[in-house]
Amino acid sequence: MSRYLTRRLGQALLVVSGVVVLTFVVMRLVPGDPAVAFAGPKATPEELAAARRQFGLDDPIPVQLLNYVRDLLTGDWGVSLRTRQPVLDDLYVAFPASLELVGTALVIAVVVGIPVGVLAARYKAKFPDLGVRFGSMLAVSVPVFWLALALQTVFASNLGWFPIAGEYDSSLDTTSPLTLWTNITIVDALITGNWPIFTSTLQHLVLPALVVAAYPTGVIAQMTRAALIEESGQDHSKLERALGFGETSILTRFALRPALNPVLSLIALVFAYAIVNGFLVEAVFNWPGLGRYAAESIKSLDTPAIAGVTLLVALVYVLANLVVDILQGFVDPRARQR
Amino acid sequence: MRWHKRLLVAGVTGVLALTASACAGGQVRGAGGTPKPAESGGSSQPAASSAAQANDSTFVYVPNLDVVTDWDPATSYSNEIVAMQNIYEGLTRYNSQEKKAEPRLATEWTSADDGKEWTFKLRQGVKFHSGATLDAEAAKKAIERTIEKKGGAAYIWDAVKTIDAVDASTLKFTLKYATPLDLVASSGYAAYIYDVNAVDKDGKSDAGTGPYTIDSWQKGKETELTLKAYEGYWGGWKPEQYKKVAYRVTPEITTAWQLLQKGEVNFVQRLNPQLFQQAGTTPNVQTASSPSFQNLLVLFNTASGPAKDVKVRQALQYAIDYDGLVAALKGSGQKGNGLVPQGLLGRTNDMEPKQDLAKAQALLAEAGYGPDNPELKLTMTYAQGDDDQKLLVTLLSSALKGMNVTLQAKPMTWSAQWDLGKKQGQDIFVMYWYPDYPDAYSWFVNVFKSADKPQFNLSYLKDSAIDTAIDALPQLTATDQLKADQAYKDLQKKIIQDQAAVAVPYVQTYQRALTSDVEGYVDNPAYPNVVFFYDLKKRAS
Repeated sequence: MSRYLTRRLGQALLVVSGVVVLTFVVMRLVPGDPAVAFAGPKATPEELAAARRQFGLDDPIPVQLLNYVRDLLTGDWGVSLRTRQPVLDDLYVAFPASLELVGTALVIAVVVGIPVGVLAARYKAKFPDLGVRFGSMLAVSVPVFWLALALQTVFASNLGWFPIAGEYDSSLDTTSPLTLWTNITIVDALITGNWPIFTSTLQHLVLPALVVAAYPTGVIAQMTRAALIEESGQDHSKLERALGFGETSILTRFALRPALNPVLSLIALVFAYAIVNGFLVEAVFNWPGLGRYAAESIKSLDTPAIAGVTLLVALVYVLANLVVDILQGFVDPRARQR
Repeated sequence: MRWHKRLLVAGVTGVLALTASACAGGQVRGAGGTPKPAESGGSSQPAASSAAQANDSTFVYVPNLDVVTDWDPATSYSNEIVAMQNIYEGLTRYNSQEKKAEPRLATEWTSADDGKEWTFKLRQGVKFHSGATLDAEAAKKAIERTIEKKGGAAYIWDAVKTIDAVDASTLKFTLKYATPLDLVASSGYAAYIYDVNAVDKDGKSDAGTGPYTIDSWQKGKETELTLKAYEGYWGGWKPEQYKKVAYRVTPEITTAWQLLQKGEVNFVQRLNPQLFQQAGTTPNVQTASSPSFQNLLVLFNTASGPAKDVKVRQALQYAIDYDGLVAALKGSGQKGNGLVPQGLLGRTNDMEPKQDLAKAQALLAEAGYGPDNPELKLTMTYAQGDDDQKLLVTLLSSALKGMNVTLQAKPMTWSAQWDLGKKQGQDIFVMYWYPDYPDAYSWFVNVFKSADKPQFNLSYLKDSAIDTAIDALPQLTATDQLKADQAYKDLQKKIIQDQAAVAVPYVQTYQRALTSDVEGYVDNPAYPNVVFFYDLKKRAS
């Protein structure tokens, strides 16, 4: 197990360093002068020179790469050209908001997707199965920004059931200010017992979380169904059937655990996908997360910020995969051999 | 298996700790806050003498970008103008209706010695938000600090030789060369008078004298900034004025529009033409549009390439479909007329451009191009993602196609486009220009004065007669406005007609949408996108 762990960690490290080098190269390949972006459209030559000095843009490229890596390791992810704050500070604010959204969406996806998948497998080729397959296909293929706009227009604008945009009603900042611990609003509201903000955030979460959840729910349902059907065709299922177990209990008591194995690794992939997918959703719902930050950074060619987001997403992706691989190692010892 | 579980627990704890450590712990978010506007909860506080209702609602402004990037009034040169102009004040403020500076922190001013000496009388009884009193010494220190910092638009004070605090209420400037200092003092940037001892770059407090002061600032949050009335404001307060202001950053236009319709916000800085049209017919929403000081410049390369031939440049001027462009802008731009936008000294009325393809073709033929001659290839750079500029490119290239001219247009980011432009890397350079203080001089000195190393002189025009005329502009503006006006008109004829260095297709038009309960909104193009909240009233319902 420890050899497996070391190998996986090594691979993860390799991927992350690859991303670091790649981001750096892309940052330098983009035409244009980052100093101009920082100093503004009407910068004077003196201001440009000062900005170039500040960002070390006068150094040779290999030196810049070394400095970049050194800075990253010491927790200096550069200064955003747009907000003029350290990128890491910006990410501290934006990332937890994204986690909140994607986390909620994944909970929805798992809670809905797995039972629905089981249902489809139980009634294979019958009406519930067809319904689930159609529904999950729809959930997977509908463009996320379209779904976001549609839900926003119908349920927020026309029916007025949910708020249009934002994370919570900001007037609550006056009446019941929130004490921050994790920076994840809903978690902080919960642990400090700030019910007004908690309920307001929950209301604001519903629509965007449903949109982000659509794709993972569909994928998880399909995968659960497929894996269960495969398992129920295995020898052990035949034995169980011969022993007189009903189909439902074969599926839930014996087939589900091995079937969850691929579903688990899927969740990791879907998690990273959902963060990126959430970018569009965040833009539509004005959710103050990583997506909105990334979108704004890209629009203003804020290379340090873009690099920061890229690196963070890569780290999350690698970490999620690592965690799942390790978990799989527990659930299914065969995975360690792979 | 047990150690596996321990490892799992350790791993999960690690991830949690990582998340937690990446977050600030235990701080209270936002001391101030933003109650919803419009729904003032029906609290009609009886005002003492007037019948006006007390206005306890918050005015919510929807910017599409982060509000504040720099809290230092000396170096601020970005979006924060929309907040800063309500927190800080200058000596004067530009009145765009009357085209002149009007009193703000200075009540009156005089100039002497042909515009090289300016004396401002300061308003009495003005206090900074820090508690300090505004006097000539404080004002002098503020301007001197701005000059020393050399950031942002500090160059607007370039003409200043010395500043003297003659007495507590008299501020005297001695200049190196004549300049309309009353206009300089009304600049949107770098002209703020502030308490130099109270500047706080973390935005917890401010050092201004304006009607509003910082209530809360939370970078990166949706409601990034809130302001509250400064009770000791020299202008005093009336019950119907807005005492609270919030900036709710909403990059997505459709979201902003929905929020406005619901009355959750009061002012949307910019909608697209379709939504703006819709806004005009929506109940509870009012719209306002007014010309800005920002125009589009199509700069031709006068130094090298095919456009070096003045005939080619004139042909290009005639090939632009000015009317089609303005029609397609659907009200978000109006036809240019010379270089100087309406509302500034030096505006001409007889230089409205017109498309004339026959003339264009004739000029091209004279230059040796056109249908029967070899193909002419021109490179053009413009702003990536700017739909309006793209429209210009489309119209121009289709017009030129019929004349055997191929336009190779490249959309670029500003930094890349500018880099290329400084190296004379294109035949046509498209950009916007707007002045820092409300004076047309900005276009001429920055864009058309000869430069060995071009900065914004991206038509690479080099003409010593034009340079001399440009250099004389500030003095004329400071001493003889009639002559200055004429000088501006002559210069525009030289640059646009004789030299054909530039075409000016249109001036941008600001299109705002507000809730209909807001009264007194006037757009002042000298302060782009600024809403002077103090001037607004909430209509009693």
